[in-house]
Amino acid sequence: MNNLINRDKRITGKSKIRLFVKKNASGWLFLLPTVLILYTMVWRPTVMAGVWSLFKMRAYTIGEFIGLNNYKMVISHSQFVPILINTLKYVFWSLIIGFIPPVVLAIMINEVVYFKSASKIILYLPTIVPGIVCMIMWTYIYSPEPTGLLNMLLSKVGCGSFGWLNNPDFTIVGIIIMKTWKGLGGAMLLYYAGLQNVNSELYEAAVLDGAGMWKRAWNVTRPALAATLVLNFVNQINAVFQTLDEPLTMTGGGPNGASATLAYQLFQYGFRSGGKSTGQAMALGVIIFAILIVLTIFYFHVNKKIEENY
Amino acid sequence: MVIIKEENFMRTKFRRTVSFILAGVMITALSTGCGKQAKDKDESGRTIVSVSNYPSAEGKAKDNFDNAIAKFEKNNPDVVIKPDQWTFDLKSFYAKAAGGQLPTIFNSYFTEVGPSIEAGYISDITDVLKKRGYEGKFNPVLEDIIGRDGKIYAIPSSAYVLGLAYNVELFEKAGLMNEDGTPKQPKDWDEMVEFAIKIKEKTGAAGFQFPSTDNAGGWIFTCLAWSYGADFVKENEDGGYTAVFDSPEAVEALQFLKDLKWKYDVLPAEMLVSNSKTEEYFGTGQVGMYITAGDYPTKLKAYNTDVDTIGLMALPAGPKKHVTLLGGGVKMISANATEDQIDAAIRWHESSMNYKLTDNVKESINNTLSNMVENGILVGVKSMSPWSKETEYLNYYYDMIDEYANSDMNHVKLYNDFVENCPAEVRPEERICAQELYAILDTCIQAVWSDENSDPSEVLAKANNDFQNDYLNNY
Repeated sequence: MNNLINRDKRITGKSKIRLFVKKNASGWLFLLPTVLILYTMVWRPTVMAGVWSLFKMRAYTIGEFIGLNNYKMVISHSQFVPILINTLKYVFWSLIIGFIPPVVLAIMINEVVYFKSASKIILYLPTIVPGIVCMIMWTYIYSPEPTGLLNMLLSKVGCGSFGWLNNPDFTIVGIIIMKTWKGLGGAMLLYYAGLQNVNSELYEAAVLDGAGMWKRAWNVTRPALAATLVLNFVNQINAVFQTLDEPLTMTGGGPNGASATLAYQLFQYGFRSGGKSTGQAMALGVIIFAILIVLTIFYFHVNKKIEENY
Repeated sequence: MVIIKEENFMRTKFRRTVSFILAGVMITALSTGCGKQAKDKDESGRTIVSVSNYPSAEGKAKDNFDNAIAKFEKNNPDVVIKPDQWTFDLKSFYAKAAGGQLPTIFNSYFTEVGPSIEAGYISDITDVLKKRGYEGKFNPVLEDIIGRDGKIYAIPSSAYVLGLAYNVELFEKAGLMNEDGTPKQPKDWDEMVEFAIKIKEKTGAAGFQFPSTDNAGGWIFTCLAWSYGADFVKENEDGGYTAVFDSPEAVEALQFLKDLKWKYDVLPAEMLVSNSKTEEYFGTGQVGMYITAGDYPTKLKAYNTDVDTIGLMALPAGPKKHVTLLGGGVKMISANATEDQIDAAIRWHESSMNYKLTDNVKESINNTLSNMVENGILVGVKSMSPWSKETEYLNYYYDMIDEYANSDMNHVKLYNDFVENCPAEVRPEERICAQELYAILDTCIQAVWSDENSDPSEVLAKANNDFQNDYLNNY
């Protein structure tokens, strides 16, 4: 009797597996291409970089095991701390300059009656300008020559020329202004979409209660956008922390290292060292990964909280 | 009911088939992309040689390349040429090399020969070159660059020394041209500054330009500092290295660059300048002079620079030395190549460039020069040759430059004379951690240009210390 029950259980178990496979096989197969691409392009390189960062690398050929020596070289490099501070400055200025304008613009567009669509299109246009074109264009806008666009405007109002990106105190701010101009449209649309979900009766009630524009924005709009605001905040920190293209294209990390970032330093190790510093490039990659993974965990934590609440 | 069941069944079957096909395609695509050692012989036993720099765009250059392949394979029935569109760039080179994906023979630069030897990515070609009669045929100044410990690892395909490019129109306006069409030659850096001041005064354009980013500024600064008597890295008795560019000589050279901006004001306002930005400034007539190599006309093509408005002359001397920096291009052969492939690859190279003056070589030279003329690139600069003066190639090449010249040869005469009977010391670039050195020197240049009160001796002392600790101590 017991044997019969066990056999039935086995059959049930087997058929359960068969059923599971039958039911999910096509789903897994549809996922397979993505998994393979992620494995080849992301997971494997990430893990291998971590492993190889413990070896003496001659370009991409593995040498002897050297433990944490590459990490030691990266962290004790004379430019590591200044570059880490630069990277944090990028994040700081991006939050100061770039975080609020998309929200304000989204609220403004939501409020206007005429030219709503035209305004959305105009504000979104910079987002579709290819990155490299945008950087070259802003290099000319910021040109310290008298023929630079901003310097021409300054001369019209009787001021002298300014160094813009050549000025070590302005270079990061300048790059963040450009990044904000480029990314503002996308973020603004996200907030605008969020605003569409706000029940207009809430505003009407607030008006009846005597709330002014600022009070309405704080008490009605802000809670409605809270989820998007927090996610964009963390996303922005994550993205800006990895800034590479702008210093590479617009300033060469200068002047005197003032605009160099951790990602730029990784590029220098990886591609401008004649293959000597590949190991350090991988070690720095792991360090950046570790910093970002903390932010990402925080991001998922916040995301979960938001999903639970809204 | 039955119909619905059948529909569901068909749908599931269809979905499953599609997913299987998709997965199959992806797996095939990914597996074909994986590194696999290339074959060295084809089915009929011919040696396969893959060659870089195959033009991607349809046109004359691609037709010439195809014709060269057809002709070579006809004359060398034991070899089959596989063209590869990859052209050398640092971002892909080391990854391709480590993955065994380099073409058999590929173009590269002097600067990459040393690191490629150290990484073991290129073949020792000494024996094949000896067998093919190359002994004594290369320009002797290149021996240290293409070889190590008596062995040869690269074939030089071009060579140049730094000179001083100038804008003919700005020179004319500043009264710096002679009646015969040659420019006045600044004999030293001080005189060059005088020229730059004159250009600025008479034309409003910047007199001089010097790069400061992407390691380009550091590269040229080494040459400038040598002329002040400075050195950069000294080999110790124990085999280690010491940075020595905190010397008064190097400080004097950096002070010179600082003065160009703050004392003489002859530079453009933009101080974050890459090589290509320097070329843009010069190619569009915004600066009077810049330091560059003999191959610069090709780089100005992007700006449609009128060939009659540009010229080249000798590099001015420094207070201690007259010295110029050597650079150029090489052909390297992948470390995976077999003996047969090395031999066949060198034969392929010889079909377009050979110390012996074959018909193919003549045709190749004519094609190159006529292409330059067609594309509006200045022909007239007689750069340093990879070959020794005795070779037939060199004499023919120089004769053809005279024949195809598309501008006043006097505009480049002073550079050509400088190359032919070089009064200056010709030095290859620094060998130890060169790129890192250039990067750190770039920041020194930016430091003295961005702060009028900066002290070059402090800037260099810090850079010297950082370079020692960050790189030389770990070398």
